[in-house]
Amino acid sequence: MALLIIIMVSPPFVSSLAYIQLYGRRGWITYKLLHLDWMPYNRWGIILMQAISFTPLNTLLLNGLLNKVDFVAIKSARDLGAKASHILKDIIIPSLKPGVLVCLLLTFVRSLADYGTPAIIGGRYRTLASEIYIQFMGAGNLEKAAAMNMCLFIPSIIFFFIYRAMMKKINSSPSQAQEGTLNLRMHKCGPIGYGVLGVSIIYVIVMVLQYATIFLTAITRKGSFPFKFTTEYIQQVFNYNTATLYRSVIYSLIVAVVGTLFAMFFTYYVERQKIRLSSVFDCIATLPYMIPGTCFGIGFILAFNHSPLKLTGTAIILIVCMLFKQLPTTTKICAASMSQISKAQEYSARDLGAGRLRVIWNIILPNMKPAFLTCFTYGFTSSMTMAGAILFLVAPKTLLAVFKLFDATYTGEYGVAAVVASIIIIVVLAVEGLTYILTSLWEKKHVPGTGTYQKNLWG
Amino acid sequence: MYLELEHIRKTFGDKVVIDDLSFSLEKGKLLCILGSSGCGKSTTLNIIGGFLTPDSGRVILDGEDITNIPPEFRPVTTVFQSYGLFPHMTVIQNVIYGLKFRGYDKKTAIEKGKRYLEMVGLKDYENAHISEISGGQQQRVALARALIVEPKLCLLDEPFSNLDAALRVKMRLELKRLQEELGITMVFVTHDQEETLILADYMTIMNEGKLVQMDTPENVYKNSSNEFVSEFLGLKDIIWSEDGKIMKVVRYANP
Repeated sequence: MALLIIIMVSPPFVSSLAYIQLYGRRGWITYKLLHLDWMPYNRWGIILMQAISFTPLNTLLLNGLLNKVDFVAIKSARDLGAKASHILKDIIIPSLKPGVLVCLLLTFVRSLADYGTPAIIGGRYRTLASEIYIQFMGAGNLEKAAAMNMCLFIPSIIFFFIYRAMMKKINSSPSQAQEGTLNLRMHKCGPIGYGVLGVSIIYVIVMVLQYATIFLTAITRKGSFPFKFTTEYIQQVFNYNTATLYRSVIYSLIVAVVGTLFAMFFTYYVERQKIRLSSVFDCIATLPYMIPGTCFGIGFILAFNHSPLKLTGTAIILIVCMLFKQLPTTTKICAASMSQISKAQEYSARDLGAGRLRVIWNIILPNMKPAFLTCFTYGFTSSMTMAGAILFLVAPKTLLAVFKLFDATYTGEYGVAAVVASIIIIVVLAVEGLTYILTSLWEKKHVPGTGTYQKNLWG
Repeated sequence: MYLELEHIRKTFGDKVVIDDLSFSLEKGKLLCILGSSGCGKSTTLNIIGGFLTPDSGRVILDGEDITNIPPEFRPVTTVFQSYGLFPHMTVIQNVIYGLKFRGYDKKTAIEKGKRYLEMVGLKDYENAHISEISGGQQQRVALARALIVEPKLCLLDEPFSNLDAALRVKMRLELKRLQEELGITMVFVTHDQEETLILADYMTIMNEGKLVQMDTPENVYKNSSNEFVSEFLGLKDIIWSEDGKIMKVVRYANP
């Protein structure tokens, strides 16, 4: 679980970076250890890397769904004579079906939109997303990039509506599920169980290796094997890139604070007050979850490239874009938390003479403290690691840490890239840790608990 | 005796949930375990069903010590309070699920399933989905699913608590009829005194993990062994049938 959280908060490109370090032409494993001479820059590398980096999100999503499987149904199946393997086959896997479909859709769209992985390890093999990147950054051809984006946008929109339909199905399934520990040992599940166990172990090993590589790359001299330790890259980053790092942190903090407040008010009016067209608003707020980041970004450029709203190149457009990109998740977190506050509380307050704003201030806000923290953390994390959506919006004076990471990886300064990646991970983990401590302090004071990531990730 | 519990003891952490519980039951009889929440009655049921292992003591069914047999191999089935139906399967698929592990081929299983559905009054619902049927119907599906495998013992964990009062009375009579028809041995857990007095061949009253009294409802009513029992049963008038059995319980609105 802890490992999954780390992966979730990691900036993009780290897996590609580690891949090159480990299995590249001069990779620690392929070249230094096994003395292989092979070309890692091809389509299989891209597919593998994308599969690995989208795994944690899907795991968390399915884990949330797994908790919703009725414990008593599993108990009944056992009671009727089903062994572990049958429970897995007959009860658990069918229950996860809609979730698996959602994961497939999400992963498909995200892979489609991922420009970083193919750009770094694709070599001459290009994908639509990396081609858009090259068209825009290399050739400065905004029109062509925008046109190509439509090819990404259309399937995404179609998938988005399928996704919403599936989500409705998932959420409408009877949730009278009783929770309990699933006393189901994987190794008793027959071949499927062994398979699952094997894949999980391999995955954990690969991930541990990946992060070890990143941290090692940050503190060892390039190409040295056995390792020679150095602080060269760290110094380099601190000498030349502190401004970028600060900027990332500050922008992310702004997004986290403003985004949290915005999500809260938005949710209150859409969900609670049931204003007209609320389902349309909800649909619009969820849309950024599915739309490829680059489409989102180019849309922003096209919208704000002219006066009176000429914002391109400013920090404002970056922050606004980040804000909207994380809105789907934060509104869902707030909605989940708000549904815990009974309407009766609100009515009582109104009844006793509190105005609308007072109700928000005295009743809603205090009950949503934990949700605030979750939103804040999510907003901060996603902004720190966001790349696709703001790729086309950054200007030299608003360069962010993620792009320093990308550029350094792209140009082969792996040491610098690894230092930046490590710093991002550490900063994000520190913020997450802090909010975690705060939450557990509050929970001791009996503030009604709120969902964890798992529950809320169900966009 | 057909079912015997010998000196069962179960603790969760420091808390003793069941303390030296022993009782036995003849074949084909219905035993009600009555008690308020937290008295250990559900734990007892979980121990008989195999979902919990007692710290000490034995469970013996039909001469065989089943204390350490996991639930999937026990000739015991349970009807759970929330039914635990499989939401992604149809009514008939739910009912015949257990037959799969008892060597039935699909065709025979479906035939038998239809027979049991008819028995519980759900003749035309076989292809309905679980979400399409009412709570009372779900209850019948759960019952048919537990009975179809012809268990040596059927356990029921407050099965009627999610039904409205009128339906509860109806289901009660149906359960009794089925149990007598099939001659199946049942252990029924409830906190409803009325239910117990009507349904049970034998009843036990539990308090704080201990057995307070076990006897026929008639005897318990006539000579409660202690104050707890009489207080727990409350002030009630009973209409007796001619053969000296309890027919109806009249409850005063304000005892």
